[in-house]
Amino acid sequence: MFGKRKPLWGTKKRLKSSYDAVIIGGGLHGLAAAYYLAKEHGLTDVAILEKRYIGFGGAGRNTAIVRANQRTQENVPLYKEALDLWPVLTKELNFNLMFNNCGNLNLMHSEAAMKAARMTIATAQFHGVESHLIDAKEAKALVPALNISEDITFPIHGAMYHPPGGIVRHDAVVWGLAKGCAKHGVHIHQQTEATGILSAGGRITGVDTARGRIQTPRVLVSAGGYSAGIMYHMLGIKLPISVLTIQAMVTQPLKPILDHVVSSGAYHCYANQTLKGEIATGAHMDPWPNYTTQNTAHYIKHQAEALSDWLPCLRGVKFMRIWGGLADMTPDMAPVMDGNDPIDGLYMDCGWGYFGFKSCSAVGKYMAEYMATGNCPEMLKPFHLRRYENHRLMGETAALVNYTPDN
Amino acid sequence: MALTLTCPVCGKRNGYEFRYGGEDKGPRPAEEGLTPRAWCDYVHMNTCTVGIQKEWWCHRDGCGAWFTTFRDTTKNLEVKPPEAENGQA
Repeated sequence: MFGKRKPLWGTKKRLKSSYDAVIIGGGLHGLAAAYYLAKEHGLTDVAILEKRYIGFGGAGRNTAIVRANQRTQENVPLYKEALDLWPVLTKELNFNLMFNNCGNLNLMHSEAAMKAARMTIATAQFHGVESHLIDAKEAKALVPALNISEDITFPIHGAMYHPPGGIVRHDAVVWGLAKGCAKHGVHIHQQTEATGILSAGGRITGVDTARGRIQTPRVLVSAGGYSAGIMYHMLGIKLPISVLTIQAMVTQPLKPILDHVVSSGAYHCYANQTLKGEIATGAHMDPWPNYTTQNTAHYIKHQAEALSDWLPCLRGVKFMRIWGGLADMTPDMAPVMDGNDPIDGLYMDCGWGYFGFKSCSAVGKYMAEYMATGNCPEMLKPFHLRRYENHRLMGETAALVNYTPDN
Repeated sequence: MALTLTCPVCGKRNGYEFRYGGEDKGPRPAEEGLTPRAWCDYVHMNTCTVGIQKEWWCHRDGCGAWFTTFRDTTKNLEVKPPEAENGQA
């Protein structure tokens, strides 16, 4: 990673004492914002500060699922654009992102869930996103491995079928964007921790790093799970975020049996088969804030139980690897994207929870526009931080039973 | 992930028996003169401390007691109250 060989995206650059824009976090949101700043807005004097290595955090830990069948009017267009951008970026970056639009199947396990799905589907269709409701038999026709019998814990009533979604190779996106950034003159500084954000007279003036001070009029905080801590400890700005650990795992490689992304809210389990043949599967989050990425037998057991219920052909298959990542959850399951408030030149792109990967392409594009012009693009306006004090939370979660950190 | 918490009634128990109740934000703000911002601060906003924080827990699958304790968010371990907090926790 830091060896003698030249990284894929170009040579290591010297850390300058000033930049037109500094981005904290070398994840997908930071890389995408830098890429679009340089490519679309001619702002090429940009530094990305990454404490470890690019793609260390959520960018390399997510389960690579992309889709645009979210619940609310404000969110769907953003995710649709992100989904539409994968083939475009593949060409533009001249890097195979391995977009496999195999389609998503979201299982419903009660009539109430089917009813809720109808509304979500209506929202998707209104915004021109292909999504429809199918019954259990149709789901079985799409995914023959599915167990649609009535004697499992949560019998399958039907599914929300979203054909344009699928899987993108997340590491390829990191490398492709890094290559694109470097090509347009962006400096990627790995092993460079931001230690402070400086402001004077209500304006951003610079960033302190472990390798020296940088003068800059603009800072974007897009450090994934670490964003909220950075915002509070460096600037005293509190965010409505709880940082939780989410675990994922893969089984041993199998012959092709699953050609859709299948997820189930009731089982808290989602699964897809990677191109290598492994079944990649993830669970819900550990329900308390945490900066570790520890794993537990609790979730291995949970996944094994859930999968052997609705994908019984996987009984006896072994898990091969397990890992954890951080999800910065907000109370309304929607992100916080804001800028110039309360400090001019300070931009934030955080609170993505477990939606950071599927949104990164479009968000990079719009955050870049925001940072270059200083004006919030229409697409991002609903996601401002003040919605919480105005009690205008978004309804990405249909019914909030308990106010907990993981919703 | 593995976590052991000390319930004031039941003693050391598995973390999955408990429900996390949020960062300790002090007493509920007075109704009088309460602004939406101050309320939002109390209800939604977190410091997301990297290190030791004081937090609320409920022994949901046990005695049901609500209590505060200290936990290191970088290690996921319950810790003793810091010196300054002794006797208050």
